[in-house]
Amino acid sequence: MENHMIRASNLTVRLSGKTIVQGVSLEARAGQITAIVGPNGSGKTTTLKAVAGEIASEGAITLNGRDIRALEPWQLAVRRAVLPQAAVVAFPFTVREIVRLGLSVGPNRHAERVETITSAALAAVDLAGFAGRFYQELSGGEQQRVQLARVLSQIWEPVLDGEPCFLLLDEPVSALDIRHQLAVMRLAKRYCEGGGGVIAVLHDLNLTALFADHMVMMRGGRVVEAGPPVSVMTDDAMEAVFGCRMCVNGVPSHGIPFVLPQTARV
Amino acid sequence: MSLNEALGDKPVHRSRIPRASARRADGDRTAIARLTLVLLLVLSVVSLLLSVATGASDASVLGVLKALLTGAEDTVLSMRDRIIVFDIRLPRALLGFLIGAALAMSGTVMQGLFRNPLADPGLVGISSGSALGAVLVIVLGSSLPAGIVFTLGAYTLPIAAFGGGLATTLLLYRIATRGGQTSIATMLLAGIAIAALAGAVTGILVYMADDKQLRDVTFWGLGSLAGMTWLKVFTAGPLILLSLLVVPFLARGLNAVTLGEAAAFHMGVKVQRLKYIAVVTVAAAVGASVAVSGGIGFVGIVVPHLLRLVIGPDHRYLLPASALLGGVLLLAADMLARTIVAPAELPIGIITALAGAPFFLWVLLRDRARSGW
Repeated sequence: MENHMIRASNLTVRLSGKTIVQGVSLEARAGQITAIVGPNGSGKTTTLKAVAGEIASEGAITLNGRDIRALEPWQLAVRRAVLPQAAVVAFPFTVREIVRLGLSVGPNRHAERVETITSAALAAVDLAGFAGRFYQELSGGEQQRVQLARVLSQIWEPVLDGEPCFLLLDEPVSALDIRHQLAVMRLAKRYCEGGGGVIAVLHDLNLTALFADHMVMMRGGRVVEAGPPVSVMTDDAMEAVFGCRMCVNGVPSHGIPFVLPQTARV
Repeated sequence: MSLNEALGDKPVHRSRIPRASARRADGDRTAIARLTLVLLLVLSVVSLLLSVATGASDASVLGVLKALLTGAEDTVLSMRDRIIVFDIRLPRALLGFLIGAALAMSGTVMQGLFRNPLADPGLVGISSGSALGAVLVIVLGSSLPAGIVFTLGAYTLPIAAFGGGLATTLLLYRIATRGGQTSIATMLLAGIAIAALAGAVTGILVYMADDKQLRDVTFWGLGSLAGMTWLKVFTAGPLILLSLLVVPFLARGLNAVTLGEAAAFHMGVKVQRLKYIAVVTVAAAVGASVAVSGGIGFVGIVVPHLLRLVIGPDHRYLLPASALLGGVLLLAADMLARTIVAPAELPIGIITALAGAPFFLWVLLRDRARSGW
């Protein structure tokens, strides 16, 4: 249990001579949503890519105690799935075919359950009935949810052979309406309750406060604050990270309306 | 515990998967893909038989069938017919089919790899490199050391073309690969530049050529299946067959690359290795084809397009279907080339370009209207 996490220590990433991420350490435990927040260009996505094993980096990265650089791509694919920020699909695949890719590529642990899992994954992202549509004909938000269904189907079981699996989500709710934002975050939550782990790059601070168990605040390629939202979301931390003074738990003056996802009931 | 249970959803039972008729609406094109493969297999056999049966001379289909089935003992065929069928038409049909398969399959692989429906071995300079190798032998062949030509004999031209194609591909790969990562965009652009360079050098050679060589180069460049011999079948055939056998193993990887190289890696694909195998395989298939038949264009672009409209872009079905349809279409074009101005014949490259180019434009405009490219 001690090792059931993704751990990066002293992570440094240089892209074409420029240091993008410097000395970042983070622990994403199974059973928890770990949110990475920070301004544009703070190194959130780069950190996620390094953790996914997709780009070269210095420093140690372990998944359930194993060095990810010593693992083959298929071994990684069994344990973690990645939702990229933007996904362009080159050819006219149907929604079902895209989701099925998550299962049919690489080591398929569920050969006999491909169709079952495909349908269930689509239902999980509220896209039941979309299987026959062409991916290119969907809206941006629907495409994002199709990709999430594909990612989900890749590591459908949150715990496999007694070890947790991890979803790495880069801005999973950026194109979604508020109802689907909540639905996707609840999905992530349930994945964690099932024993898996989630690392998500998020821009919405309220969703982060609502769903994250652990949050990592980045600025300029470094970690500024890390901990549970309730303890790290302070006025000072907000200003230090985002460069603008905000009042945590403050109510806007002059009667300007505001709507918080915290109040949503579904 | 599965996520399904974690979500509290009712499990979906396999028995509830809809029947074949409803599947297409469900986004599952597996059934139609399998049906298409079976149809193409039948068509392949038919087109091979037809190709052997038709031509300027008059050998009956029945006679041909008998000859094929019973071998040399048959008395229905005269000696002349036997030579026509076995030594002229049969190698031509076999090699024509293989070349069509190789070109279409190579187009499919390149398009999958470059995630671009316009990619084609012609586009990334592989065909140009092969052509340069071939023209080099045609024009400078007489000044090559006699030993080389003597040892290689009829193999000189195919080997030079394959060498040219492979050299181009490796050069391209070196230019586009940095730190173990191949940039598809660089490769595509470098391919255009290398094709232009190879074209220019070929141009210089053509300029230097005498009248006879010029005629050889021009006819070879137009593309033709004329003059196929068993020797050519045995030179180009094994390379093409080998690449056709390797390619199905790339299908899952190519499917994953459709979502991007990063996504393919996330799904467990060794992307670098996939690219390397794909590129060398295509170089072998295209080099061997160009060597024996010259420039036959558009097969590699038209065939995958046509098939994607029917069975979708899943490479597990698209690759074998492309190979079969490529073979069928090239044999059909060849039959047309042989009969349209009989007893003379048109270079087949003219026919594929005449049919292929407008078709390609039509597909392009249709796709643009539909998906807004």
